[in-house]
Amino acid sequence: MSLYDIIFYLFAAITILSGFIVVTSKNIVYSAFSLLFTFFGVAGIYVLLGADFIAIVQILVYVGGILILLLFGVMLTNKITNVDIRTGTIHVLPGAVAVGVLMGLLLSAMVWTEWKTQPSETPVTTTVTLGRLLITDYILIFELLGILLLIALIGAASIARREQE
Amino acid sequence: MELSNLSHSLNLLLPELTLSIALLVLVLFDLIFHHDKKIISYVALIGLLATGFFVINQFSLSGFAFSTGNESYRNFGMITIDSFGSFFKLIVIVASVIIVFFSLSSDEIKKTSERIGEYYALIFGMILGMLFMISATDLILIYLSVELLSLSSYVLAGFTKLRERNSEASLKYMIYGSVSSGLMLFGISLVYGMTGTTNLYMINSLIQIPHLNLFTFSFAMILIFAGIGYKISSAPFHFWTPDVYEGAPITITAFLSVASKAAGFALLIRFVKITFVSYIDTSGFWQLIHVFDWKTLIVVISIFTMTLGNFSALWQDNLKRMLAYSSIAHAGYIMLGLAVLSNQGLTAMLIYFAVYLLMNLGAFLVVMLIANKINSEEIDDYDGLGYSSPFLAASLAIFLISLTGLPPTAGFIGKLYLFVALVDANMIGLAVVALLNTVVSLYYYVRVLKHMYLTKPETAIPEIKTSKPNTILVLVLLIPIFIFGIYFTPLVDLAKGCITILGL
Repeated sequence: MSLYDIIFYLFAAITILSGFIVVTSKNIVYSAFSLLFTFFGVAGIYVLLGADFIAIVQILVYVGGILILLLFGVMLTNKITNVDIRTGTIHVLPGAVAVGVLMGLLLSAMVWTEWKTQPSETPVTTTVTLGRLLITDYILIFELLGILLLIALIGAASIARREQE
Repeated sequence: MELSNLSHSLNLLLPELTLSIALLVLVLFDLIFHHDKKIISYVALIGLLATGFFVINQFSLSGFAFSTGNESYRNFGMITIDSFGSFFKLIVIVASVIIVFFSLSSDEIKKTSERIGEYYALIFGMILGMLFMISATDLILIYLSVELLSLSSYVLAGFTKLRERNSEASLKYMIYGSVSSGLMLFGISLVYGMTGTTNLYMINSLIQIPHLNLFTFSFAMILIFAGIGYKISSAPFHFWTPDVYEGAPITITAFLSVASKAAGFALLIRFVKITFVSYIDTSGFWQLIHVFDWKTLIVVISIFTMTLGNFSALWQDNLKRMLAYSSIAHAGYIMLGLAVLSNQGLTAMLIYFAVYLLMNLGAFLVVMLIANKINSEEIDDYDGLGYSSPFLAASLAIFLISLTGLPPTAGFIGKLYLFVALVDANMIGLAVVALLNTVVSLYYYVRVLKHMYLTKPETAIPEIKTSKPNTILVLVLLIPIFIFGIYFTPLVDLAKGCITILGL
């Protein structure tokens, strides 16, 4: 096992363990904090894959922005100590069977498939190439994402508004 | 991508561009005219008509836009413009225009007239998503457009917020939607991992290599189908349909049942045709690459979908819920056209969709007009309606008869062409199953008629008067049902001319 592998498994373990805490914890603040480690672990894996730009954006946007916003939201809510969130589980057996089957299929797909591979190269900084691709080949996707975000904003505002009876 | 290529691409994207601009204008006008929101509906209408104009203009046009990748595949883009796409785009735009008129006379929407700007902005988001779904040939764009459609419809399903059912519909829709789009993403990433590309044309040429892992590839296809199947509400991904259709505002229900389904079907057809067809033989049958058995999958799913939809509809007492199950059943019928995997089947699907647009929107319209007055969609409240308000009852009866598929209505023509396509492809067993299903569906459609004409109401009910514009709208949907039921040649000719899917 090379050093690379060890680092990968380390980050993967961080991601999975903290992700497990996010969904099982009864306290919403604990969940939010373990989400921090999930995002961090994912960012680490991005770095290992040579995707430096995405890793930085992951930390800046998710850890720096969204997570802090989430924590603020929790802290500004009344009765923070006894926020009643239901993390109970129902239909454990069918759920476990379905998830188990899906995971088995995905695992076997991962192991048995001949993936398309590329010869490994020394990682280079990707920011310039990404920027160029986004405004040339993928300009349509980029612009459409802008509209998607606009719709998401309008939708969020629409949901959040209280309706007067 | 060179600049000349960009202008060529933008030229092909005129309907989508118009719609995006209209979306922005809507948001802007919503800010400027916040005292009098009446103008917003007309802005929406003008935007849609302009888009429709460009779609009709594009009927003779075809080409690839926004090509990516290396030199050898430069011709294949992210977007394909062809007559097949234009046909479905026209269906979506016509449905949208009718929905705007629906919204103008719906009491549910009138109660939220403060937020009418948001309402139309979200509807435009949906339409934009649909237009891109119809013409996308790149997995990234496919995913993005499905997401754009879904995000807007989640919000719209719970838009009125006046009843608890609205929020329930919205939340249920969103949870099911996220799961299915997650599955679809898994499928897309598996395909990308095996082929190294997201362009459907390139996948088509790459999957012909002999040592492709068929297990993983089939698994990926089933996952992608889960995402599309959710949009067309085919079993087993239909669970959301009854609850969402019942809880959502009726304008949105009608829109989801026609336009969203049309876009989903267009995406499915294009996906199968471009990615898997190796050649089309002389009699118009599509010969697939032997990597995934689409025929079996679609046959099984369509039988399952229509049987389940029809038999569940038998027990429904709420008209919206009944129409929801009936629309599941119709998704099953339409899928039969794809199962044939031939040009003839495709023509039948196009005819069916044009007819389905009229009759389904019509049924929802009448249900809405009645609900505006009696504030109920329960079948028991329809007792004696045939005598107190003869016009509405008669129109509803005709729409339902057309949904069953009896002559001389257009619904009969739609079903006839589907069954003929099935018989021509030697799939007689399947045609018999579909025919038996139609017989079952007769029961629950006629049950409404029985309540309207044969059951005596417990208390005398007043006449439901419709305003002039509403009467005209009902007639606009009603008259073509008879015209296409008797003189259907133009519709068939149009559909026959619109089966070009660029590819191969």
